Amino acid sequence: MPTSTDLLQGTLDLLILQTLALEPMHGWGIAQRIQQVSKDVLQIGQGSLYPALYRLEYKGWIKAEWGNSENNRRAKFYRLTAAGRKQLQSEVETWDRLSSAVSLILGRTVEASR
Amino acid sequence: MITEFLTWLRFLILRKKNSELDDELRFHLEQSIAAKVAAGLSASDARRQALIEFGGVETTREQCDRQRPGWWAGIISQDVRYAMRSILAHRWFSAAIVATLALGIGLNTMVFTLVNAVLLKPVPVPNGDRLVSVMERNLVHDVGSVPLSYPDFQDYRKQAKLFDFFEAVTQEAGVLSEQGNPPQQYQLDRATAGMFSMVQTNAFLGRPLLPGDEQPGAAPVVVLAYNVWQERYAGLPGIIGRQVHVSGQSATIVGVMPKDFRFPHGVDLWMPLVPTPDLAKRDNRILQCYAILKPGVTPRKAGAELDGISNRLTSQFPEDKGLGVSVLTFQQRFNGGRIRTAFLLMLAAVGFVLLIACADVANMMLSRSLNRQREMSIRTALGASRWRIVRQLLIESVLLSTLGGLLGLGLAEGSIHWFDLATTGIRPDWVQFTMNFPVFGYFAALCVLSGLLFGIAPALRSSKTSVFDVLKDRAHSVGSHRGAWLSSALVVFQFALTLVLLTGAGIFIHSLLDRLAVNPFIPASQVTTARLHLPEERYKDNEARIHFFDQLLLRLRSMPGVRHAAIASGAPGMGAANEQIELEHLPIANPVQRPWISFVAQFPGYFDTIHLPLLQGRDFNETEGTSKHEAAVLTRDAAARLWPGQNPIGKRFRLFDDKNKPTPWITVIGISANMVQEAWDDNPKPLLFVPYRQEGWDNMALVVESGADPLQSMRQAVQSLDGELPLSEPFRLKDAIEQQIWFLRIFGKVFLTFALIAMLMASVGIYAVIAHATNSRTQEIGVRIALGATVSNILLLVMRRGLWQVAVGLAVGLAAAFPQARVMASIGLRSDPVIFCSVAFMMASVGVFACWLPARRAAGLDPVKAIRYE
Repeated sequence: MPTSTDLLQGTLDLLILQTLALEPMHGWGIAQRIQQVSKDVLQIGQGSLYPALYRLEYKGWIKAEWGNSENNRRAKFYRLTAAGRKQLQSEVETWDRLSSAVSLILGRTVEASR
Repeated sequence: MITEFLTWLRFLILRKKNSELDDELRFHLEQSIAAKVAAGLSASDARRQALIEFGGVETTREQCDRQRPGWWAGIISQDVRYAMRSILAHRWFSAAIVATLALGIGLNTMVFTLVNAVLLKPVPVPNGDRLVSVMERNLVHDVGSVPLSYPDFQDYRKQAKLFDFFEAVTQEAGVLSEQGNPPQQYQLDRATAGMFSMVQTNAFLGRPLLPGDEQPGAAPVVVLAYNVWQERYAGLPGIIGRQVHVSGQSATIVGVMPKDFRFPHGVDLWMPLVPTPDLAKRDNRILQCYAILKPGVTPRKAGAELDGISNRLTSQFPEDKGLGVSVLTFQQRFNGGRIRTAFLLMLAAVGFVLLIACADVANMMLSRSLNRQREMSIRTALGASRWRIVRQLLIESVLLSTLGGLLGLGLAEGSIHWFDLATTGIRPDWVQFTMNFPVFGYFAALCVLSGLLFGIAPALRSSKTSVFDVLKDRAHSVGSHRGAWLSSALVVFQFALTLVLLTGAGIFIHSLLDRLAVNPFIPASQVTTARLHLPEERYKDNEARIHFFDQLLLRLRSMPGVRHAAIASGAPGMGAANEQIELEHLPIANPVQRPWISFVAQFPGYFDTIHLPLLQGRDFNETEGTSKHEAAVLTRDAAARLWPGQNPIGKRFRLFDDKNKPTPWITVIGISANMVQEAWDDNPKPLLFVPYRQEGWDNMALVVESGADPLQSMRQAVQSLDGELPLSEPFRLKDAIEQQIWFLRIFGKVFLTFALIAMLMASVGIYAVIAHATNSRTQEIGVRIALGATVSNILLLVMRRGLWQVAVGLAVGLAAAFPQARVMASIGLRSDPVIFCSVAFMMASVGVFACWLPARRAAGLDPVKAIRYE
């Protein structure tokens, strides 16, 4: 099972931005959501999650606010800013281009080996 | 982009609280536990498993911190604070380092300020960075600065496209005179009218020269420099419109220029350059040209354009054959040659001083790095990386060098002021010794670079420690041998550089003493000289001039307190005229191969006035010098060179003037002692004296020997004969000689100071190294003494290494001093083997003494105490 360190450089940022695009969330929520959606393939540890969140916040793509969680505990909620939304869009485009290019190459390799 | 930048800026300034992250992580952990409990684990199992999954918090915290823009600034400031504490903790050690570096960096900043002013900085006028000097150059004889003729100047000015301004001046001596005010000689420049708008300067009073002034037939006008207005007219406000005579021609004062404006340089009076028939000749070369380049045009590019024009002129006019053109900056034109070499030598010398200082400091830090190994080992054990320790130590070094540099800046300011005063009146007025941004840049670079230079080796050494070795062992016994070769090399290096510096200083002082010892028979402090020019309009021929000078001599001799007075074409040591010579019965067909001689034309009594002894024959009598009685007195040296091994009395020769016309045959009547007339000529030509009647010049030097200052009475004597004649270049001969050797005196002082500082540093350096090495061998020495080693055994043991270093250093230094002597010879400074020997001897004694001090202490150790020494 790949851990987050095996994720492609910058992919974690993309995943976080995409997750936050739906609604504001706290760190734990983000990790859980990514795990659920990826059907337990991607598990994000706190050691990668929080530096990434701080990085995105310092870049101005997400914004943190203190609020109350579902079970009424104080938690820090992150939400996407306008700049973050733009960044997400361009990162998704980059990802699409990259992944289709990679699958093109892999597809050809698979055919050649047959 | 802007919002992102603002966010960046906000986080650069504001820090997040650490507790925020802690709260967030705690929440994360609680959620994780809650999730596991919900999945059916017991509370304690859930907690245990969650903690294992969670991992270390400290790395996360550090990682989060590192995301912040400018996070490293915090680390650096931490390092700086730590370095500051460490510097303050070893106060005396740090003070020694700061003082050493203050000398090194301060002197370098000073010399760079000077070099910058003399060789780099633009002339301090508007658009000074585009100002150039344009002259022609002789392609055949490779002479770089030939004046232009007026037609050439006009052709260049009309055809050149790359210049905003193209102006010309003539330089001459102008005599300013008027009713009721004694005549005075000034530097007069006749300039084209654009000269003032070229440097965007308006008059302080009245107006500058205007284009209308240079029209033929315009009313003659003159513009005064501020100093002339102040000194001659005491700053009289109503000066504008006054009628004066300038070199016999009447003119109206129309303006006074602002204070310190002497453009192009040293000008007292400006007059318009009015075209005359004489000026219109293409071979009458008297103009110096100054120009402002169009923005973005380099002197080289402008030179290429003028070369094209020059080629056309050469093919068109026979007068311009063999001439090219040269476009140079002021620095290149006027501060080339000797000045340039001397300043670059000074920059090299002071660079050596800094290197020696850095070597000293590096050695001090190296010896301390042994003591610091324990500290570094502990830091390593606590998880500091090697890079982090090296960085920390380098920050400490740079901090030390910056402190030293700031202290040195004050030193630099002071010594620049000294140099400024020492060269007032000698340096061109457009050279201003002030600091500017390039100087501060150089200063900052020096601070950082020297910090890195002396810091890198000790930092690498300190950080390269094995934790176990150091912590289990006593600190000083580890690494004491590893450091040895490096500090030895540094000492050798210091001694070599110091030897080079001392030799340089020695050569300067040798030349200085040489020059001061010139013509010892002349009582230079009692002799006053001044020059006098008889204008052609009033003194048409030789007879008129002889008549005037004969009368003047009588009056000079009757002045109170005057012991001797004479008139000669050149005062002693102040240069001579040169002509080609041909000896009787030894004709030389090809004029180019005739040898050259120097001569002084003089009135009777000259030999007595300068106390030049006659060795053979006699002085001139009253008839000699008249037609058919041509005569000469030779110096002994000249006689030996012209008639080797023969008695020259009664021999005859003749001279050829620049039109290749021979004089009548001249008979040698006497031989004088040797005398130096051309002080700066390394290869003086044979010198001879002829009577004035033979070579009647209109520009002569009055030479008076008197106990009191005779200048006032000399003026009166001249003006009682002709009220329109000013005296120029009045000097005590001693001062005139000083003026000639200012270069040697100032640079000799500077180099000697540098060399002595270097020697001090080098000897402190070797002393410190030997003392430190001896200190760490105290126990060993104690054992040796206990086992019966004699005093000389111990002395030798301790000093051996130091003596080796001194010997190698001296050998390397001597090898490097020879090329230096060659460079100095190129600017007329002769060296002497005595300099090399005495400098080497001096360095050797200083080195031996510096080694002997710690050795003596070691030899006197009490073995019992030494063995217990920790």
